[in-house]
Amino acid sequence: MNKLHINPKYCKGCLICVEMCPKKALEPSEKMNAKGYILPRDKDMSLCNGCKMCEVMCPDFAIAIETEED
Amino acid sequence: MKKHPMLKYLKETGPQGDRLPLIMCPGCGSGQVLNAILHAVDRLIEEDGIRKENFVFITGVGCSARLTSHYLNFDSGWTIHGRTLAIATGALLANPDLRIIVITGDGDTGAIGGNHFIHACRRNLDLTIVCLNNGLYGMTGGQVAPTTIPGVATTTTPYGNTEEEFDLCRLAEASGATFTARWTTAHPHQTMRTVMKGVRKKGAAFIEVLSQCPVHKKASPTDMLKALKKNTKRIKSGETAPGDKIPIGEFCNIDKPEWIQSYQRVIDQFAETD
Repeated sequence: MNKLHINPKYCKGCLICVEMCPKKALEPSEKMNAKGYILPRDKDMSLCNGCKMCEVMCPDFAIAIETEED
Repeated sequence: MKKHPMLKYLKETGPQGDRLPLIMCPGCGSGQVLNAILHAVDRLIEEDGIRKENFVFITGVGCSARLTSHYLNFDSGWTIHGRTLAIATGALLANPDLRIIVITGDGDTGAIGGNHFIHACRRNLDLTIVCLNNGLYGMTGGQVAPTTIPGVATTTTPYGNTEEEFDLCRLAEASGATFTARWTTAHPHQTMRTVMKGVRKKGAAFIEVLSQCPVHKKASPTDMLKALKKNTKRIKSGETAPGDKIPIGEFCNIDKPEWIQSYQRVIDQFAETD
């Protein structure tokens, strides 16, 4: 199963990754980072197919997907 | 924790402390365009064997220009407003082996930099110009720009814009650019592939990217991305888009001698007679 990594220092809670995931594997969490931004978290990573659309879309370089090949 | 793959091209810390997170507003489209450009540069270094030292990024002033300010781990220039292309011209003529990627905004290119823009395209210099178009002047407070669509409300047109807008791709093509294209921040893979084509193209490549400004438009970034996808239609060159949709895609791709080639021909011709 693929693993989600969110950098809480760089993420600004725009939630573009949550919206643009074609498999809807992410959701907003209840956690805020130190700057008050809502961070995303994995809803169901078994849905993630490793397309890395979230990595290409992120404006802040705050997300990374670890697939089995990595 | 695994880091984002493009962080290897950014400087995360410096003498004054942490440089990241980026200074951009949450959900700003400019970070997404930088992401797509870095993916393109990564593939060009791997596939074409271009050295990392040969890439140079030049920007002007504005929200689009903050991308090179102190984040990029490449040789780059953060220059004066509108004169981005003048300085990029100087850099290219000083060292024609450089692959120069110019990142500007719709104000930096279409407004204050309009004159340098038409002449850089007319001279068909070997530059790749990526223009981030959000339809307003972002950094100064959301005022109307030459690329604002008629009827849209901005800070200085609260009752709706009364002027017609520039189509920057057609302006570039009419001035003499040999490669023009338009995408949006909702099309990152297409933007990446077009930037690769633009760098490989010998001549002026103009790539416009429609991007969202969630702060001045007072909308959420995800709503604006969905609207960008909905209000644009991909066309092939020669087709026209339906009236209410903005055409996107690669428009013009022709071959013409590039500036340095034309100049070299004159040098070679007169070198024999000396």
